[in-house]
Amino acid sequence: MRKSYSSKWIAQRITATFLIPLSFWFIYQCVSFQKFKYFELQLFFQSYVNSFLFLVMMIFMLIHSKLGLETILQDYISSSSLKKTFKRIINFITFFSLFLVVVAIIKINIV
Amino acid sequence: MNDNRPLSPHLSIHKKVLTSVFSIFHRITGLGLSIGSIFLALWISLLALGQNYFFIFEVISGGLFFKIILFLWTIGIFYHLFNGMRYLYWTYGLGMDLKNVYTSGYIVLFLTFLSTFFVWFL
Repeated sequence: MRKSYSSKWIAQRITATFLIPLSFWFIYQCVSFQKFKYFELQLFFQSYVNSFLFLVMMIFMLIHSKLGLETILQDYISSSSLKKTFKRIINFITFFSLFLVVVAIIKINIV
Repeated sequence: MNDNRPLSPHLSIHKKVLTSVFSIFHRITGLGLSIGSIFLALWISLLALGQNYFFIFEVISGGLFFKIILFLWTIGIFYHLFNGMRYLYWTYGLGMDLKNVYTSGYIVLFLTFLSTFFVWFL
């Protein structure tokens, strides 16, 4: 049990490290978009490099969020049953979002 | 285990000092950005579904409410990024004396507002 907590702590920091350059890249791209119009974004994500970086950013972001939210739960929610319920909700949302992103990127680039 | 035991950190009873306020805001922005990441997933899904679906986003993004949320998101992500770097630095045991902790805190605030200004007004 203790081992899993320390590996989560490390995972939180590794994902954070990767998210620093990726977030700056994404913010920079967002600023450079003219108006977030469909064709402009379609063109952007049809580049494999952009799609790949976005995918990696989203995967790390969702893992980082999941770990962070679990830490918050651990600190502020004392009821263990409520904690379990929230953990399930977080897990579900994380995996659902992950699924959406992967399918979307595949559809834009391959299908 | 007793479910009603008090939990640390006891936010309501501590005196608010800069470091604890920074930590609380790191968590609040983290929570906000987590919710934001769900919307990023929905956004890319709408894009993948095609122009008819992406129209939903275009309508929403035209409103003032969206602009306000996006502005708050910008502040949130910059704060979380810069303060996160500060925490990563601490992970290596660096810059943890009281003077440096306060100085780096003010630098985080400065960089957050500077970056947000650059993104929105330049």
